Amino acid sequence: MSFVSLIGVELKKIRRSKILLILLIPVIMMWIPGIINADMNFDLRGIPITPENNFFIQGFMGMVWFMIPASLVICTVLLNQTERADNGILKMLSLPVSTTRLCLAKFTVLLMLAAVQMILSIGAYYICAAIAANTQNYNFVLEPLYVCKIVCGLYAAAIPMAAVYWAISTVIPSPIFSVGIGLASIVPSVLMINTKIWFVYPMSYPFYLLMVAYGRAAEGVYETQIAWLTWLPAAVGITILALVISCIRFGASERRSKQ
Amino acid sequence: MNIIETHNLTKTYGDFTAVSHLNLHIRKGSVYGFLGPNGAGKSTTMKLFLGLTQPTEGSFHIDGKTYPSDRISILKEVGSFIEAPAFYGNLTGEENLEIIRKILGLPKSSVSDALEFVGLTQFRRRLAKKYSLGMKQRLGLAGALIGRPPVLILDEPTNGLDPVGIHEIRTLIRSLPQKYDCTVLVSSHLLPEVELMADDIGILNHGRLLFEGTMDDLKISARTAGFPTDNLEDTFLAMIDEDNQRRGGTV
Amino acid sequence: MSLVIESKKLRRTGYFPAFLSGSFLAAAFPVVYMMVKAEELTSLSGNPLELLMSANWQMMAMLNILISICGACMMYHTEYADNGMQKMSVLPIRQENLFFSKFVIAALVLSAMVAIETAVLAGCAEYWFPGYVSDLTEILQTAGFQIVVTLPTVMLMLVIASACKNMWVSLGIGVILVFTLSIFPQDNTALSLFPFASPCQTLSGAAANSRTALFLTVCGIETVVFGIGEVLYLKVRRCLA
Repeated sequence: MSFVSLIGVELKKIRRSKILLILLIPVIMMWIPGIINADMNFDLRGIPITPENNFFIQGFMGMVWFMIPASLVICTVLLNQTERADNGILKMLSLPVSTTRLCLAKFTVLLMLAAVQMILSIGAYYICAAIAANTQNYNFVLEPLYVCKIVCGLYAAAIPMAAVYWAISTVIPSPIFSVGIGLASIVPSVLMINTKIWFVYPMSYPFYLLMVAYGRAAEGVYETQIAWLTWLPAAVGITILALVISCIRFGASERRSKQ
Repeated sequence: MNIIETHNLTKTYGDFTAVSHLNLHIRKGSVYGFLGPNGAGKSTTMKLFLGLTQPTEGSFHIDGKTYPSDRISILKEVGSFIEAPAFYGNLTGEENLEIIRKILGLPKSSVSDALEFVGLTQFRRRLAKKYSLGMKQRLGLAGALIGRPPVLILDEPTNGLDPVGIHEIRTLIRSLPQKYDCTVLVSSHLLPEVELMADDIGILNHGRLLFEGTMDDLKISARTAGFPTDNLEDTFLAMIDEDNQRRGGTV
Repeated sequence: MSLVIESKKLRRTGYFPAFLSGSFLAAAFPVVYMMVKAEELTSLSGNPLELLMSANWQMMAMLNILISICGACMMYHTEYADNGMQKMSVLPIRQENLFFSKFVIAALVLSAMVAIETAVLAGCAEYWFPGYVSDLTEILQTAGFQIVVTLPTVMLMLVIASACKNMWVSLGIGVILVFTLSIFPQDNTALSLFPFASPCQTLSGAAANSRTALFLTVCGIETVVFGIGEVLYLKVRRCLA
């Protein structure tokens, strides 16, 4: 069975799960305060930033520090629970499919769900920026190339974090612990991006990237250069390590209990 | 005296009628076999008795009590086992029964009693989610039998058991009325099985009651209707088939 | 008695250890903060406990909320995963009792969590602020206030979890609610009274705006209203079954 058709199978498993709704709601919610308080974007409190950039970055702020990681945690729960709820995993393990490929196919689905959320968030941004532009008589709409570049960057930065969450959910079979650890790990990322060792903490990557974009749009707020030299090796290392762990551990508890 | 009686009991889901104008009469101290193919409405009827679902029309009473006003007191008298085994996977078999025992306010010994009854004593410390299908089934039965309730409602209790287990459970059910003075309503889709256990039978197809009475009544009425009677399985199949054809013809 | 039964059902689910580790993690925030940036706070004037609260409580409250969400999901996951709930519904007990026992357990566990956190905050104040002597009344008042403002969240989350058979749906709804209320402006009084937002309020902050009574009353009412909501929901669910 090819990897692509395996992904197709995995996508079929989450049919009727309403996951898209859960991904869509926060994307819409994050812009509501932005629209209601659109006039606040002109009150810049001395920060040298244009209102349209302010609107964009403030809107995405909640998304990167909380909602992207939280959505990933929810999706890992969904992917695992659909397997474990009715013992579907046992059937999968008894079919001639390699567990590594199965695990990677599930991870790909996780990334696809995250990608869908990103695309939705770009769409929501443009709709909301247009609404705000109408109510405030000011053009809040940023150039598509810039917006897409930033959002794609955020998405790429979320991949190591997704790998870590996926590894956590395969290593820890108790759902409460994997979810609890996942959600709890979001909170300290606010602290982490202000330290020198932010790059060891994958949950803060998208936040870091947006802060750099903030720094570029408003001088003096944050760094303007991405520290590629330290970040890239750390991110790649963490991702590979997490994926290796999850591939080894995937289905391990189910296999053991059947012996 | 009838301990359970229903009057035109009906349950519809949208335009699908699961149970249609059912009039059942279950004698106190008898084993009543509830027979019908899959999807005939047996489980729905049992769920109605337990208040797990609301009747669309009609009523029933159990030991003189009616639903919904006497829900709690009905449930105090009824031990039940419905469909897939229901339990807490993170608890052992013993702990699962311990919870039920506490809710029913039974003496401590009733747990080991029930475990002994269904032959789970040696596995009582194992987590319920690690049980085999047959053991889960036995745990569910233990949860129904615990405290020896006067009315037992068992939905296909022998599903998933091995031949020895099936025989044990049948013998157990057969002996319950004499031993504990209780009434058993047991469903099955296998007529030979019901024949071995039940005093009275009710045959259900597409939510309607085709026959109610003793086994001998069934043979007599089958003979008069021209159904084969030398093999009860054939009788049952012929009855269902005839009913299906009649329904198919009228629709 | 039903409390004993409900807590028994939580065996081996990791519920209690999760809350314990959650409270230690939350308690670690002020400690780490003071280890890194002690001067920032010690140089300020004001009540040390209040200073520590205003610097750390946002994140600690966030953790409390998230752990409460996980806890509520877990409680009902054990009910729904292997159909235990169905067995409960054919036993002579009221579904309402089952729910409120769960709420009492969740509230007690939350109280323990907040108590540990405030104790650590007071400990930090004593350690880093020379001359500060912790006052038991102050600690108890702070902990009490924080518990009361968190109760609506705990109750609402249990209502949500009881309504969703799939754990990840209730988790998703909970997380979205946290997110939504965390991005709304924090200085709006009406919004800060909502569940998921009210736990972030601090006693000193409320006292400064003389809103302590308002918060305590509204949160108390919210808790009761959600409780009544669950009772109604259970009635409707039974009728529609």
